[in-house]
Amino acid sequence: MKIEGEYVFNGPREEVWKLVRDPEVLATALPGTQSLEQVGENEYEGAMNVRIGPVAGAFSGRIVVSNEVAPESCTLSVEGRGKPGFAKGTGDVHLLDQGDGTTLMKYEGEMQIGGRLASVGQRLIDTASKSMIRQGLDALNEALEARVSAKATGQEEIEYEAPSEAEFAAAVARDMAGEMLSSARARIILIVLAIAIVIVIAAVVLTNSGGG
Amino acid sequence: MTKKYLGQRMTRTEDPRLLTGQALFVDDVEIPGMLYAAFLRSDYAHALIRSIDVSAAQNRPGVVAVYTAQDLGDFWQHGPPLVPAPHSVEGVVFHSRTQVPLAKDKVRYVGEAVAVVFAESRYIAEDALEEIAVDYEPLETVADLERALEAGAPLVHDDLDSNMASHLVQRKGDYAAAREKADLVIKRRIVIDRGAAGAMENRGIVAHWDEKSQHLTMWDTTQAPIPVRNGLAKILGLSESQVRVIAPFVGGGFGPKIMMFLAEEVLVPWGAIQLNRPIKWIEDRRENFFATTQERGQTHDAEIALTRDGRILGVSHEFLHDTGAYNPYGLTIPLNTQSHSMSAYDVANYYSDMKVVFTNKMITTPVRGAGRPQGIFLMERLLDIAAKELGKDPIEIRKRNYIPPDAFPYNHEIIDQAFAPLVFDSGNYRPALEKAAAMIGYEKFVKEEQPRLRAEGQHVGIGIVSFVETTGVGPYEGSRVTVEASGKISVATGVGTQGQGHFTSFAQIVADQLGVSPRDVRLVTGDTSEFHWGTGTFASRGSVVAANAIHAAAKSVRAKILRLASKALETPEEELELDDGQVRVADIPRQSISLGELAVLANPLRGAVEPGTEPGLEATAYYGPQYGATASGSHAMIIKVDPETMMVEIKRYVAVEDCGTMLNPLIVEGQVHGGVALGIGNSYYEQLIYDDNGQLLNASLADYLIPSATEVPRVEVGHEETRSPLNELGSKGAGEAGAIPVPALFAQALEDALADYNVEILEAPMSPNKLFELLHGKEKEQ
Repeated sequence: MKIEGEYVFNGPREEVWKLVRDPEVLATALPGTQSLEQVGENEYEGAMNVRIGPVAGAFSGRIVVSNEVAPESCTLSVEGRGKPGFAKGTGDVHLLDQGDGTTLMKYEGEMQIGGRLASVGQRLIDTASKSMIRQGLDALNEALEARVSAKATGQEEIEYEAPSEAEFAAAVARDMAGEMLSSARARIILIVLAIAIVIVIAAVVLTNSGGG
Repeated sequence: MTKKYLGQRMTRTEDPRLLTGQALFVDDVEIPGMLYAAFLRSDYAHALIRSIDVSAAQNRPGVVAVYTAQDLGDFWQHGPPLVPAPHSVEGVVFHSRTQVPLAKDKVRYVGEAVAVVFAESRYIAEDALEEIAVDYEPLETVADLERALEAGAPLVHDDLDSNMASHLVQRKGDYAAAREKADLVIKRRIVIDRGAAGAMENRGIVAHWDEKSQHLTMWDTTQAPIPVRNGLAKILGLSESQVRVIAPFVGGGFGPKIMMFLAEEVLVPWGAIQLNRPIKWIEDRRENFFATTQERGQTHDAEIALTRDGRILGVSHEFLHDTGAYNPYGLTIPLNTQSHSMSAYDVANYYSDMKVVFTNKMITTPVRGAGRPQGIFLMERLLDIAAKELGKDPIEIRKRNYIPPDAFPYNHEIIDQAFAPLVFDSGNYRPALEKAAAMIGYEKFVKEEQPRLRAEGQHVGIGIVSFVETTGVGPYEGSRVTVEASGKISVATGVGTQGQGHFTSFAQIVADQLGVSPRDVRLVTGDTSEFHWGTGTFASRGSVVAANAIHAAAKSVRAKILRLASKALETPEEELELDDGQVRVADIPRQSISLGELAVLANPLRGAVEPGTEPGLEATAYYGPQYGATASGSHAMIIKVDPETMMVEIKRYVAVEDCGTMLNPLIVEGQVHGGVALGIGNSYYEQLIYDDNGQLLNASLADYLIPSATEVPRVEVGHEETRSPLNELGSKGAGEAGAIPVPALFAQALEDALADYNVEILEAPMSPNKLFELLHGKEKEQ
């Protein structure tokens, strides 16, 4: 399965880069994430609960960041396994400074999915994964905005409030219903795979990673 | 003997029990202290197993035992081949790689069992599965048949040089020379994909080891209880007399329940002995997609060569057959494909190059049709395309090429699935085609109705195709018929029953011989303690092989009855008649003796049985045909297609079947209805979709569409009866026939309905999506 998309962050490229390389931020961006830890300079391990339609369960996974050109681009390799199946993929993430204080993220990757996720979740996985990626990036963007504004005002950074797992699930369901109801309308640009974490998220979401 | 019941449309005597939920199925078997099994199955299509950690699962309360391949010791062995290897066939390449009870070093398909849990409940067992940690090292996967044979492709079996499981070329005449002389050569690639058997009842097993009597009883949803018993005894190191296999009522067999010795069929009884506890395993629906064998995947590059006037000069095809990760069923399916690729036609020159390919997918074994629908699809499609080129109609080109009725027995000069010459015993194909055309009103539809409906903008089409089906193959079946002291008759046979109406049709045979009502005949099938010689229910052979064995046993008993009654009534045998449970003197009906009284006389409590005679009114007989009886027929349909949604509506469906003598036409028609329903699934709805990584993408009945009442039309059935000269009843099989021609018929009717798009259907199953893509890949030509 191919994953690709773009997302615009309301902040400078360096800040976006730092954010996506910060496991704590990433872990909060996707509800269901139980943990995400840096285990090596370029390696992360995480655990996540995933639900796609009738398929649900815990995933554990590992993300390796390579070809890193800070703060422009990197390659993410994701491998996740859990009760609902497994996912394995690699993707490239590029951050482009748009010159107006915003940063364009472009991502593109290939994902292999197996087990129950593939055999039962197939119909839903495309939409569900896009929705999860978009929400993850939205959450990251909010975190970014909180950081940027804290910096600007010199105040202590205010914790942004990540969506709860229930809110998140509801949003996925909404997106899926929307997909089914409207065939022609252009979809919201989904974003994604941001950095490793995003990828992780994506991996988790799409495939799964997580468990711990 | 009067023919009072045989051939009558009797309603099925077993139905009241089935319809009121009183029939015993495997899942109905409950034994105190029973454990439940669940299997951990691989999510990977191809991966090395680095380690398996079962400690958490083992510690879960209620779990009695967890086993992996490492724990099986010497019991871990490759399963037995289910059919003989074709080593006697000249020029054959064949590598036997049969399945294992649990994958040890690597997994070769998604669903391959890697561990089994025995627990106090299925819930606990399934929870424990989630706690087993398998460390896999994923390998590159081969799912595509052509890719699997490319140099450098990942190997399903590392000890082989390639993924080619078998290679066999069969020839008749000289195709190349025939092609030189041809006016028209049609060449096409034809692809048939996999489907599931989709029985209503999934597979199930209950095994009960009685330590004190050292005896194993196993209830199994098998079509072949006797081979299962024999194989299990060997695998478990028991005497055959220590093992009883019972196949009670089975909710549909369709092939994958024949006898597989897959993980469940060997590990459940083994576990019952190890743990000294009864164990039950019932496959669930999702598991069925991964644990039960499938069929049909083949790719053909085919040619047909003809004269200008539509006479077939020759057929040639090179094809790849998907056997999945293992090949326990040998060459049965692809040999059946070869045996049906010339179908009902007099083809003088034939060339067939068959390659069987290992892939990282579920094993394939026969599913109702068993290689035959592929051969028929190939031949009928080529013929239809040729007819179009030559400006002939489908009926005309078929009539021109049929094997003539005086050419039987007709030797096709290749070998069949039993490695014996492919000989059609008898046949008369033209009357069935003409009857099908008449029943559906072919001419009137084409000349009047279709033009009118087309003018209204409707896309309606008609199709008509022919088929043959080799049925009733050996080696043999047997039966024991006994007259009891009550006057009732007991009949035992070794075949299992999965809904074919055996209790009725077999009783009809016996009733006529012994002059009783079929309702006084009690049949036992599928219990090795009742009868333990035979092979099973498959290859449309029950009504041929088992029926003729029963017929022979009943005749012997009839002879014994007459001999004894002649003495008792002091009347010559020729003057006696059997009717209504009595033996009477024909001219003096009051002078009679009941079968019950005769049974008592034949089994006296005092006195002596005469030397050279046997006690009782009982006989055992066997029947083994020299070769199969070939059934045939023609199907026709009228279809309406919505060119926006590509949904189809079958307006009429006509099936004319020739299965020789019919034991019970009502049951034959039921078989045809069921076969057609399966064929409709194979034509337009049911396809198992695997991705390039060997992952099955539609493993649920939400995504894998089995035709329901709204997709299956009323099927109008007509009959022709060309008796088989090979057996006394003159019968041929009918179990698979209904399914065989449907994909070919569907394709022809779809093309006709969409004539203005000029599409060619070269694959089965089609689907609304595929048809949409086909249509929109073309410019509308009108």
